[in-house]
Amino acid sequence: MDALLTLWQSTGIANLTWREGIMLLVGCGLIYLAIAKRFEPLLLVPIGFGTLLSNIPVAGIGGPDGMIGMIYAIGVETGIFPLLIFLGIGAMTDFGALIARPSTLLLGAAAQFGIFATLIGALALNLLPGFQFSLADAAAIGIIGGADGPTAIFLASRLAPDLLGAIAVAAYSYMALVPIIQPPIMRALTTPAERAIVMEQLRPVTRLERILFPFMVLLLCALLLPSAAPLIGMLTFGNLLRESGVVDRLSRAAQNEIINVVTILLGLAIGSKLSGELFLTPQTLGILLLGAIAFSIGTASGVLMGKIMCWVTGGKVNPLIGAAGVSAVPMSARVVNKVGLEANHHNFLLMHAMGPNVAGVIGSAVAAGVLLALVSG
Amino acid sequence: MDASVTALLVDGLWLMVTGLTIVFVFLLMLVGLLDLMSKAVARWGPQEPQPEAVAQALPPTGDDARLTAVITAAIQQYRARHRA
Repeated sequence: MDALLTLWQSTGIANLTWREGIMLLVGCGLIYLAIAKRFEPLLLVPIGFGTLLSNIPVAGIGGPDGMIGMIYAIGVETGIFPLLIFLGIGAMTDFGALIARPSTLLLGAAAQFGIFATLIGALALNLLPGFQFSLADAAAIGIIGGADGPTAIFLASRLAPDLLGAIAVAAYSYMALVPIIQPPIMRALTTPAERAIVMEQLRPVTRLERILFPFMVLLLCALLLPSAAPLIGMLTFGNLLRESGVVDRLSRAAQNEIINVVTILLGLAIGSKLSGELFLTPQTLGILLLGAIAFSIGTASGVLMGKIMCWVTGGKVNPLIGAAGVSAVPMSARVVNKVGLEANHHNFLLMHAMGPNVAGVIGSAVAAGVLLALVSG
Repeated sequence: MDASVTALLVDGLWLMVTGLTIVFVFLLMLVGLLDLMSKAVARWGPQEPQPEAVAQALPPTGDDARLTAVITAAIQQYRARHRA
């Protein structure tokens, strides 16, 4: 009888707490969204399954000695996984549109306003009972507005490891929701005439310019903002692999194998942070809410900057492309293209929106560097 | 309003002003740097081969030469396209 009791006490059913039960359902929900609704499946499938694994009672897979717990300690706590993802992004990104029209970098800068506005919002939540965000927490939450998953994870792992799970889920789920969140804001802030503006074709960019570009970005980063050097460094290195044209094998590895392996491991590791005690708190709800606000403000400030540029250039810039300043490559550029086509059936803005889009990646990496330098010290 | 929260909010506002300023300054300088780079490349950089010019440069003597010219132009075009 005693043996039976011992056996019973080692089963999952006997040890299942209500928190783990709910998180198992959340994990299934994420996997459902990925498979049935195609919401960021590359990330949500590993994250969802990681959630399932780490909420299995007794097994402790997500704990410090568990398999996923160790993956987390090696890759996420050290910040290595997001940096390797940045390497892959650098190798996948064509910065040609940005080199042809550097002024679109300003759109990428304006969209970072969402980060800082959300930071204030997170601090203001402290006025409500149940919330206690420090400045570092608020900075990590704000970076969701950069719409850049790896940057958000990198900064959160530095500044607020406890909130990492909620921040990562918020960052990636809002990236999936870009096509729903952005268009109403873009339409509200522009007139039909502005949306129909046709932009001049981009000039061709020479190979030498493409090769020099990563060095220019890295040089500026090294001179002005060394705290952003890990992110910018990996991004520019990946891009040099791509544009140098002599290391195709390495470039392809960075774009495919490396980024794929890291995505699997990163997803599992984030999933392990979706455990009951850490996730089912009022903070998580606040973070999800703030994330949506961050995205909306980032989009709005990008579009407003687009309007300023439109006015300054005498109507040569379509303000819609400002919305692509929140990174979310290439989703937000596609959204811009779609909204532009609604106003004018022959107006393809995709290439023009790619400039601010990749500028947004640099912009949010710079913003992350600023926050690291100012908050962690 | 809680005094500590007020202090935090003031800190946050300060962070917003300095942060956004740094982001803008950084990207503005990058705009300038990229403009300079493009100008320098246009001025001193190597000329990108022009497919038409190469095709015309070959003397049209006989069928073989014309065929060579056509193939050269095609290769140049292919290379120019795949460089991008």
